[in-house]
Amino acid sequence: MININHVIKEMDLEGNPSNHRVVVAMSGGVDSSVTAALLVEAGYDVVGLTMQLYDYGKTLQKKGACCAGSDINDARLVSSKLGIPHYVLNYESLFQDQVMNDFADSYLRGETPIPCVRCNQTVKFTDMFDRAKKLGASALATGHYIRRKKRFGITSLYTGLDPIKDQSYFLFATTKKQLDFVRFPLGSLTKDETRSVAKRHELNVADKPDSQDICFVPEGKYADVVRKLRPGSVDKGYIIDVNGNVLGMHSGIIDFTIGQRKGIGIGGRKGVDDNDSILYVIALDTKKNNVIVGPREFLSCNKIKISDCNWIIDLPQESEFNVLVKLRNSSQPVIGKIKINFENNFAYLLFDQPQFGVSTGQAAVFYNIKESSHVLGGGWIAEAPNKLADNNLKNV
Amino acid sequence: MDVGPLNASSIHYYGRKGKDIIEDARTHIGKLINTNKNNIVFTSSATEAINLLFSNFETIVVSSIEHMAVLSSSRGDHIIPVNHDGIVDLNFLELYLEKLVKHNKNTLVSVMWVNNETGVIQPIEDVVKIAKKYECFVHCDAAQALGKIKVNLSEIELDFLTISGHKIGAPTGIGVLVYNDSVNLKPQILGGGQEKGMRAGTENILGIRGFGEAAKIMTNKLDNDSTQVKYLRDYLINKIKILTPETIIFGENANRVANTILMALPSVPGDLALMKLDLDYFSVSSGSACSSGKISKSHVVSAMGYEKLAYNSVRLSFPPNDIVLNSENLITIQELDRLAQCWSNL
Repeated sequence: MININHVIKEMDLEGNPSNHRVVVAMSGGVDSSVTAALLVEAGYDVVGLTMQLYDYGKTLQKKGACCAGSDINDARLVSSKLGIPHYVLNYESLFQDQVMNDFADSYLRGETPIPCVRCNQTVKFTDMFDRAKKLGASALATGHYIRRKKRFGITSLYTGLDPIKDQSYFLFATTKKQLDFVRFPLGSLTKDETRSVAKRHELNVADKPDSQDICFVPEGKYADVVRKLRPGSVDKGYIIDVNGNVLGMHSGIIDFTIGQRKGIGIGGRKGVDDNDSILYVIALDTKKNNVIVGPREFLSCNKIKISDCNWIIDLPQESEFNVLVKLRNSSQPVIGKIKINFENNFAYLLFDQPQFGVSTGQAAVFYNIKESSHVLGGGWIAEAPNKLADNNLKNV
Repeated sequence: MDVGPLNASSIHYYGRKGKDIIEDARTHIGKLINTNKNNIVFTSSATEAINLLFSNFETIVVSSIEHMAVLSSSRGDHIIPVNHDGIVDLNFLELYLEKLVKHNKNTLVSVMWVNNETGVIQPIEDVVKIAKKYECFVHCDAAQALGKIKVNLSEIELDFLTISGHKIGAPTGIGVLVYNDSVNLKPQILGGGQEKGMRAGTENILGIRGFGEAAKIMTNKLDNDSTQVKYLRDYLINKIKILTPETIIFGENANRVANTILMALPSVPGDLALMKLDLDYFSVSSGSACSSGKISKSHVVSAMGYEKLAYNSVRLSFPPNDIVLNSENLITIQELDRLAQCWSNL
């Protein structure tokens, strides 16, 4: 059973809840719906806002992702059930400019982007944030599984208590200033607890499946979306090995991700022993429009460059220290030494152990090496040279 | 109403009763707009009536500020602009028709009587004159005009008129097409042959009765007096202009019906204004909102040449004059003062 006093304490707003208007970012999913429900229970003056991010009719219909048409309706039904006002924000052109275009261009640069972080960074925590303030709110609450804690007067970010649901990887770009205003009432809950709150409030979304992928990408077919957004800019090219031998053709480098093994379209090679016959995508050469494949060892990466770093802590005096770092949302954190360039806001990260399949465009998110739940900040992986880059590529 | 199955297509007693109710309503509506009751077809809405009519014409000329029901179903091929005050450009219409009718016989001209966002009254008599000069048919969407200004079909040579019941106090879900019976209209909805075969489907007897009663009440009123509403509207506009002089009132210099104000602040998006006013217990609306609740830009404001304000417009509507007069404290000066204050706090 959820202790509502704990929710109020975590909200960290002075005085009686009824004196505070809290805007809840409602996607129509169970998490943000329960966020609203808990805050209503706690006695806050709750207002629900839902962002309409794209025309779901035009942007291919799909099931199982947030922010489609039926999701807006779900958010409305939940708000009606909870007796709170609910409004829809038309952010279609903002989302197109700031998230979808960036997503397409990033793939064309041979990167693997994370549009959900861009969306949090821009539309959600900039524009919606601003709207919540204009509506007189004391805070903007979201349904993310992440914790905001105040320690010794400093506000810090911690991973969600439920490691399976933790969303800290997607929120590393949250600034200290934003952290003063946003709240995450589900940070200490498990998904089961969330669903039980939804059931107790008889919300129609109580059994709604979690969204699995990027909201504007139907059935995970991201390359189709890129082709639609950037017609004519995806060209056929060669698939070559690390020695420059042509192995086949591809129909666009956007179809590939560094470290990818399946679906390259090249079978095993004769006369090569088994371990070497498994091919991975090692590099995407955007200049020559080539996909370079090779054995796993070529993916080995010891050092990465990270740009646009965001720090949620007061930075230590020294520019070098050890951190835990996550290089993909689904991967386990690894140990590395960070070297910060304060002037240009980038950093180098040197791994203890070589990493395989590090992709530019993804985020590197840092955690405290002494307290792994403490999120220090993060940045974008700008360069991730692997063994191939060290080799002489004369033949290619 | 008698208790029984009032299906007007049935032969039995209650069926005949149902038929009577429908014909009575037709009579009352015919009287209100001064037309032959036999040229009235009941539909589910003015939107449906417009769709039924427009499906019979290939070439439809409309103004740029028409309701979406007209703009969408006319296919938007022939659009006549409006001026800065939101009045249809008659010179443009004349020149346009002169060219168009050389190649297109059987053209329909459709201009609304009163604009639903600004309340600006259109020069419908002049539109008819021009359209007739070029032997076009003329339709008028009078949904916003009915009950607010005089709609008398014996004084104007319209071929088609569409109206909506809920605009004069009937329940929602009932509309009317008044048609020129020299034109053979084909139905859109096929089935049991109701409404002389022009609109199949069991009649909405409650809606029709409601529309008839509302029309009867409206006919018995001496005139379309709107003095009290006009007084309150002008009071509010005046107050707003004192507190927030940068407010733009659309169509301010044009002849308007008294019950609506369309206004905007250059620095405040319409959806923000709507949310804040709603949270302050004022129910106002935006130029246009789709069914998801997403607010889009107002095509009317845009057509009037205020492109930069198209996302900022907010519409205020007042209740009918007699309701304001007969219900004490429905709209008080204090509340209008509070509204003007909230507007200035945006």
